[in-house]
Amino acid sequence: MPPRLLLRLHRVGAIAMTYFAIFYVIVNSAVYPLIAGKTRAAQEAFGLQISSLGAQFAWLLPLPIRPDTPAGYLQWRGYGVFAIVFGAWALLSACGAVRRDEDRGLVEVWLSTGLSRSRLLMTRTAAFASLSAAVVVVAGFAGWLGCMIAGSPAEVGGLVGESAALWGLTLSCFGIGALVAQIAPDFRAAAAYGATVLVVLFVIDSIGRSSITRSPLTDVSVFFLYNRSNAFAPGGVFDPAATIALVLVAVITTTIAAVAHTRRDLGSGLIRLRSPHQAPIYEAARNPVLGIPVLRGLWARRIGSLLWIAGVAAGAAAVVDIIDLTANFFANTPSLAPYLRHLAGDVHTVLLALIWFSVAQGVLAILAITYVARWAADDSSGVLELQLAEPVPRVGVLAERAGELLLLVVVIAFAAAAVILALAPAQGLHVDVGRLLVATALLVPFALTFAALGALLAGWRPRAAVVVLSTVAAVSYLVFQLGPLLKWPAWADNLSVFQLYGTPLLTSVFAGGLIAMLCIVVVGFAAAGVALARRDIAT
Amino acid sequence: MSSAIVTHALSKDYGSGRGLFDLDLEVVEGEVFGFLGPNGAGKTTTIRLLMGLIHASAGTASIFGLDCDRDSVAVKREVGYLPGELPQFGGMRGSEVVAYLGGMRGTINHPRIKELAERFQLDLGRRFREYSRGNKQKLGLVLAFMHDPRLLILDEPTSGLDPLNQQTFHQLVGEVKSTGATVFLSSHVLSEVEETCSRVGIVRDGRLVSDISMEKVHEMRFHEVVVEFAGDVPEEAVRAAPGVEDVVVDGHRLTCKVRGGFDAFLAAIRGSNVLDMVSREPSLESIFLTYYRT
Repeated sequence: MPPRLLLRLHRVGAIAMTYFAIFYVIVNSAVYPLIAGKTRAAQEAFGLQISSLGAQFAWLLPLPIRPDTPAGYLQWRGYGVFAIVFGAWALLSACGAVRRDEDRGLVEVWLSTGLSRSRLLMTRTAAFASLSAAVVVVAGFAGWLGCMIAGSPAEVGGLVGESAALWGLTLSCFGIGALVAQIAPDFRAAAAYGATVLVVLFVIDSIGRSSITRSPLTDVSVFFLYNRSNAFAPGGVFDPAATIALVLVAVITTTIAAVAHTRRDLGSGLIRLRSPHQAPIYEAARNPVLGIPVLRGLWARRIGSLLWIAGVAAGAAAVVDIIDLTANFFANTPSLAPYLRHLAGDVHTVLLALIWFSVAQGVLAILAITYVARWAADDSSGVLELQLAEPVPRVGVLAERAGELLLLVVVIAFAAAAVILALAPAQGLHVDVGRLLVATALLVPFALTFAALGALLAGWRPRAAVVVLSTVAAVSYLVFQLGPLLKWPAWADNLSVFQLYGTPLLTSVFAGGLIAMLCIVVVGFAAAGVALARRDIAT
Repeated sequence: MSSAIVTHALSKDYGSGRGLFDLDLEVVEGEVFGFLGPNGAGKTTTIRLLMGLIHASAGTASIFGLDCDRDSVAVKREVGYLPGELPQFGGMRGSEVVAYLGGMRGTINHPRIKELAERFQLDLGRRFREYSRGNKQKLGLVLAFMHDPRLLILDEPTSGLDPLNQQTFHQLVGEVKSTGATVFLSSHVLSEVEETCSRVGIVRDGRLVSDISMEKVHEMRFHEVVVEFAGDVPEEAVRAAPGVEDVVVDGHRLTCKVRGGFDAFLAAIRGSNVLDMVSREPSLESIFLTYYRT
């Protein structure tokens, strides 16, 4: 296969990961003095508190090393999180390369050109390896630059070692994904099985990290091998043997995957269970939900919708669970006190507002982007063409799309609020129910703001919709995070949709922000209706 | 007879000479109209213009007197549509796809759906992703026919169907025609057009080349014949036979085109020792290309 095509097949993930890595690394390194304080004493006090907090979060991230320095903080906060994010990217890329392209019929076409199956998998792996190496290098450079801006240059040798470990982890996760994808019946199952395997490996490492006695099982986890290196932090180490082991895992799993690929039928998994014989059905489904606008779309995607609802509710429960712990951290960290001082209310409520509603905003923005991605895909796949072959106006299809997302956002937001209200008393949190419901309700126009922008993009330029909307969301979040730290003027802060949401759990509703969001929703969907009506479909 | 479809100077210009230009067409109610042409000639563009999926650069199109663009919702109440390629519905079962799109239409004719699925032997209990290409096409046909529309617009309806199901389709078209419905279909298959259509329009390079009856189509029809002889090739006799064209002899092999009946050709080779003989019906596209080239 031509190298250009190979690289092109992974370009969306690589671009998104590059954006994310640069943004995340810069936020966690360049602004370190603003978070930790500018004096050495303040940074040492901050480091002590992060060490204490890090011990509590050892199940999630490795223990911090020298968090009183930007590089040490970035090692913990940045490269600790990268293990999860890069692992997930590699897994999805592998499942996509093996099964999604197969489901699309692309693999069949490539194999028909005389390319062998093993060579196909190996070339795809090589292409991903090249791109992931580039992303890891860019992330490392951004970290080095961030530390430089923070006034504490990082060691280049440590940076190279940590980048090598991250690359090894990414490759090994790709190999595991490629292997698991050989067994699964299709892309979705492959992603689910692969995610399960990676979660198990992560938990094995997590248990080993947070327990007194380490199980021998821990050594088999790729996350354990990755965490053997923490070379970016001052005084950290690089474990070349563990990194080589990660690359070996990648080579072995990819080789087994290539062998498995040659032994299975295209379009099905290596292990294929015979489906029980069923008499053919010649009747249309009599499910009344399929006849109800909005609900029929949610029913068609009921499993995904339920996962969103359950996942966000679980996230709300986890946030409530850590509020007390985080409150103690903030109470004992002088440099962080200013962040809470200007907000009214007790520290628990303030943290609930800051943590939960930040998480909820991020999650709902991602939900809106995934919906916009589906709208754009419906256009290119021909689903929209078939929908419009029925006697429904284009604006009706748009309204149904918006209604479906609106309903799902309402259910997700209020289910999470119900979880918070149910669990708060056990954690000693006193939540103002009225304010919580108002804050939850305001998440709806927040999510619809992204949806309206996305609908406009999908109605106008469907192919560019996801990339542009993701960029808008990322920039919006960046403005929200950096604006207060860098003391940008209010008008600049208000360019962020996250800023327009305000802090309704703590203060009164930001009327200007709400009006602005509603205006974007109305104008965005109206313009999307016009764009969709004027555009040619299925060309 | 009133008109089902009328277009006046209908054009869709994609630039670089691609698209559809100045299409004037009328299909009367109750007619089965075949829309033919090579790939990229403008067949699907015409169908999408009729369905209001794309907007015309110039000209007008109407169905049952309703403007295809302005009144597209009203138009689609009367139309059953089969796209050139069915989209992916992933994990949805065939029965759910039918109910989902039937729900969008507002009515689901359960007995009709059952009858269609049984005739095509389409198991609606299976997931869409498990369907073969032929089964996907059958599902598309069920979706197009299930509400007994006054007009059927079908883009290559027998593509991917086996001969038995093609036959079922032809019967179905005959039945809806007998109830007064109109059918507008694009096709590459001559036998299908011969069996189902009463008139054909031929489009080439975005322009309607001809709008002709089936009698004319029959005149255009020919077979490509290859005969392998044991001994000498009776070349002179074959060349002299009426209806035989483009005779080429290569050793003991003779290839030619036979237009109309085979009687004259068979008489010409009678007495020769024939080892093998193959007669192939070329694609409709190549028949028309040959016809319009000459």
